[in-house]
Amino acid sequence: MRKDETLISHLDWPLFIAFMTMLLMGFATVYSVAYNPEHPNIYSFDEKYGKQLIWLGVSLFLGLVVFLIDSDIYRKFAFPIYLFTLVLLVVVLFMPAINGAHAWIGIGSMGIQPAEFAKISSALLLAKYISELSVKQQTTRNVLGAAMILLVPMALILLQPDAGTFVVFTSFLFVMYREGLTFDPIILGVVNSFPGVRFKETWVGSHFIPIMFVAIFLSVVTLLLSNVTITLPFISDIKIPGSMGVILTLLILAIIALVFIRRFGTKRDRSRATIIIVLGLLLGGGLSFGVGAGFSSLAPHQKDRIELFLGLKEDPNGKDYNRNRAMAAVGSGGLIGKGYNKASVSSVESNHVPESETDFIFCPFAEEWGFIGTLVLIILYMFMLIRIVVIAERQRAGFNRIYAYCVAMILFYHFAINIGMNIGFAPVIGIPLPFFSYGGSSMMSFSMMMFILLKLDSQRKDVLR
Amino acid sequence: MNFDARRYVIVAFIILVGIIYTFRLFYMQVVDDTWTLRAQEIAEKRKEIIPPRGIIFDRNGKKIVSNRTYYNLMMCEDKIKHLDTASFAKLIGWTREEVRQRFKDIVKGEGTYYNKNSGKRTSNYQKIRKYPFIKELTLEEISTIVPHLKNFPGFFEQVTSMRNYPYANGANILGYLSEVTREEIEQDNFYKPGNNIGRSGIERFYEKELRGIKGIKYVVTSALNNAIESYADGKYDTTARQAPPLKMGMDMLIQAYGEKLMQNKKGCIVAIEPSTGEILSMVSAPSFDPNLLVGKRNISLNYPKLALDPNMPLFPRPLQAEYPPGSIFKLIQSLIGMQEGVIDENSGFACDKSVVGCHNHSSARNIPEAVQYSCNPYFYAVVRRIIQQNKKGNLYADAELGLNKWHKYMASFGLGQELGVDVSGQRPGLIPDSKYYDKWYGHHQWAFSTIRSISIGQGEVKLTPIQMANIAAIIANKGWFYTPHFVKSIGYDGALSQFRKKHYTKVNSKHFNPVIEGMRRVVNENGGTARMARMDDIIICGKTGTVQNPHGEDHSVFIAFAPMNKPKIAIAVFVENAGFGGTWAAPIASLMIEKYLKRKIKDKAKEQRIFEARLSNYKVAAE
Repeated sequence: MRKDETLISHLDWPLFIAFMTMLLMGFATVYSVAYNPEHPNIYSFDEKYGKQLIWLGVSLFLGLVVFLIDSDIYRKFAFPIYLFTLVLLVVVLFMPAINGAHAWIGIGSMGIQPAEFAKISSALLLAKYISELSVKQQTTRNVLGAAMILLVPMALILLQPDAGTFVVFTSFLFVMYREGLTFDPIILGVVNSFPGVRFKETWVGSHFIPIMFVAIFLSVVTLLLSNVTITLPFISDIKIPGSMGVILTLLILAIIALVFIRRFGTKRDRSRATIIIVLGLLLGGGLSFGVGAGFSSLAPHQKDRIELFLGLKEDPNGKDYNRNRAMAAVGSGGLIGKGYNKASVSSVESNHVPESETDFIFCPFAEEWGFIGTLVLIILYMFMLIRIVVIAERQRAGFNRIYAYCVAMILFYHFAINIGMNIGFAPVIGIPLPFFSYGGSSMMSFSMMMFILLKLDSQRKDVLR
Repeated sequence: MNFDARRYVIVAFIILVGIIYTFRLFYMQVVDDTWTLRAQEIAEKRKEIIPPRGIIFDRNGKKIVSNRTYYNLMMCEDKIKHLDTASFAKLIGWTREEVRQRFKDIVKGEGTYYNKNSGKRTSNYQKIRKYPFIKELTLEEISTIVPHLKNFPGFFEQVTSMRNYPYANGANILGYLSEVTREEIEQDNFYKPGNNIGRSGIERFYEKELRGIKGIKYVVTSALNNAIESYADGKYDTTARQAPPLKMGMDMLIQAYGEKLMQNKKGCIVAIEPSTGEILSMVSAPSFDPNLLVGKRNISLNYPKLALDPNMPLFPRPLQAEYPPGSIFKLIQSLIGMQEGVIDENSGFACDKSVVGCHNHSSARNIPEAVQYSCNPYFYAVVRRIIQQNKKGNLYADAELGLNKWHKYMASFGLGQELGVDVSGQRPGLIPDSKYYDKWYGHHQWAFSTIRSISIGQGEVKLTPIQMANIAAIIANKGWFYTPHFVKSIGYDGALSQFRKKHYTKVNSKHFNPVIEGMRRVVNENGGTARMARMDDIIICGKTGTVQNPHGEDHSVFIAFAPMNKPKIAIAVFVENAGFGGTWAAPIASLMIEKYLKRKIKDKAKEQRIFEARLSNYKVAAE
């Protein structure tokens, strides 16, 4: 009795409500997209919405179980749980392939995907592993240990093959980054092996993850602009190639940043920030230049592939079929959408957008609710992700914090890649949109993930771990 | 080491992605309509139902332009199974290579669309779509193919409608249709690739009136191109409506007769009903059968032949050929002279052959005689008085003033400017004004003596045959005209408003009587130049002209109207390189008038002479 009261009073209601809202929105979207006028009832278990309702019920039941169990077991049993999912990941490789991937255990539509659950178990073990490290974390051994926890399931998932989930596992790198567990020791080891070089830390190594993403972003922008010439708005007779434009923009931004720092920074900050800005400018400019030069030296067919991915080239009915249809569905939503159950491009019946009830469920949602709907969806996700970060940072126990970060980054990856592939910003790799996509395994795994997080958070004051 | 600050890096990433995605979605969904259009292409098929084009009748209710059913042989690659190329090629009468090539051409041609953003043609070929394999087959052609199509799954026929011209006449008036160009599609969203548009003549001018209203059916289609449901329960669907018929003022009987008279000759006939401005007939010789330019297949076969024919059958002479008018111009000179008060009806001038050559006749004592004799020195004298009115001391300044006044009169007769006939591509002709001569000779470097050949319709002056016919109509009406036009009514509405407005010349109607009397004498009195046009029971008023042609035989011109007291037809006949106006142009005009007013010809010999005449300049196309 006392425990329940604690749960209700200590539950993070904002997150819980956001979570439940998304589950409802998700179910409503599945109902709309898979709607079959012959079985309009949501309990029609022949239809996808009927099945999704079962998964929803099962997930909520599992949530209830999670709420009733003491949260300490996740830490204690993290390793056995991890091992269990590894076994499942091995077993699944011997299952018959569905759509070319050995991803399912079980029969037909009632099967489960171990890869979905491997995300939770890896998160739990990673949280346990890092939280139990001694204060001096930055050793090669520790970094490799954490990396091993991730690499084993990643390798097994790649064998299925399931590129989407494989990519999602890289989200744990952000968690490691937050915990100060980066690849710096390894890079230092390599760098310092040169005679006479003695670095204590490399800035690039310790900020490897964000730098990598900034680098990817810069490269993509450079490539996008590689065929464009930019005319300056005020000096119209000077035309500069697009890739130079990126470097020029960086230069301008750097100058602005320097001016700001001269004005507002303290003396100590100033010199440090100046070094970072100048270094960043050199690296960014060099990268942009290198990518531009590298791209133009590629063979035509390689160029083709990259241009196709970046949307510089069109093949709407060939290699670009899925994304072209998906973007048409999203873009045709307009400001207020076509109305609930009115999706014409992305309904399952019309079948223009493949997988519109699973990986491409953002399409019918965006088509039916328009920009208003997608804005609400993005705000809801933003709120949820930031709320999880806030929750993470208020934990006393390292395990809880790390696990919360894992949840946040997994959801962030799913959100960014799934929606990204609907709007032409990410490659089409099949990963579900959390709480929306049809499918039992993802529904259960995301729900479990959230329920465990909520449970851990509600007990954050119980013990100091 | 404390890594707490790194939480902000992570939050920054999350927020950055959120903001970028929000902007991207705003752009895709609200700002840019590319994807909306793409979605319509993909899923919301607008099925357009093109109505048959409007029918055209002549003034007697004869159907002169109608539609005929043609068939397209369609194909859908997805449904083709084990195509036996050899027997299929045999069925449609092609070679195997042609069949294979056609498949490739469809992918590159019909299977692409023009992408506005990239400015390139982008592939849009889909196996599940239907494409025309052979277009525009006639009933005879398709009926040999259809019974065997069951052996070739994936091929089927589709009905389409194209123009049909029951009479092989009036090609240059009616014009033809051809496929729309990319620019036309961009300018007017009515058109889709493959649609037809009026390319010349009436078909072009009345394109909007003739094309009707497209029916649009919105259906939601699946990826397999099957219609799933009608969009929004058919709320936005519209039915196709054929345009109301056009009624032309043209009389197909005399149009055909005129074309027959003009066979083996070059030139034109334009006949107008003076009281309405309706064009009764507009013959451009040589002409061609309009059915030669129906459909893409015919056009690609026949158009090059017609374009390369040395007699230029595609050239609409009545509207675009600019000729010096010759002596018919003297009629207007008399009118302007009287209106200006520099002469009156009874002014006489000696036939002074030292000024300009003339044929033998007694000196004209008044306007009717001057017109009857077509006296060149007389009209030199008249026009000298118009141009040099001695209103300014300086001879050159005086000529400038006089010429510009004269030019204004000419403009009021619709000369030197486009008349505004309802067929596109007409020429303005040329009536020089002071600026024109200033350019040639320099300011104040010219006077009447420099430019005097305009007096008798030679020199710089140029008129189109339709303007010549309009002069006859103006004189018949004694001073006013309706802009000549072909279409007298569109459905239940009358002609376009610009054709219902009377234009008055700057010449008072009383001055027309002596000129008309002169024209009567030209045809009906001894000493008249057009005695060959005379008829016993109808009084024709006319004026001949012989246009000096530096390149060869003179052109023969004749304008006339009849009957004298209640004019029903005004006509201009222009025969290239035919010599004296009275010999060819005048009898052709009188035959046309007789045919129009009486529907039959009494003097068969006169008719026969014209039919059989083959003028020397008419080139026989090499066989």
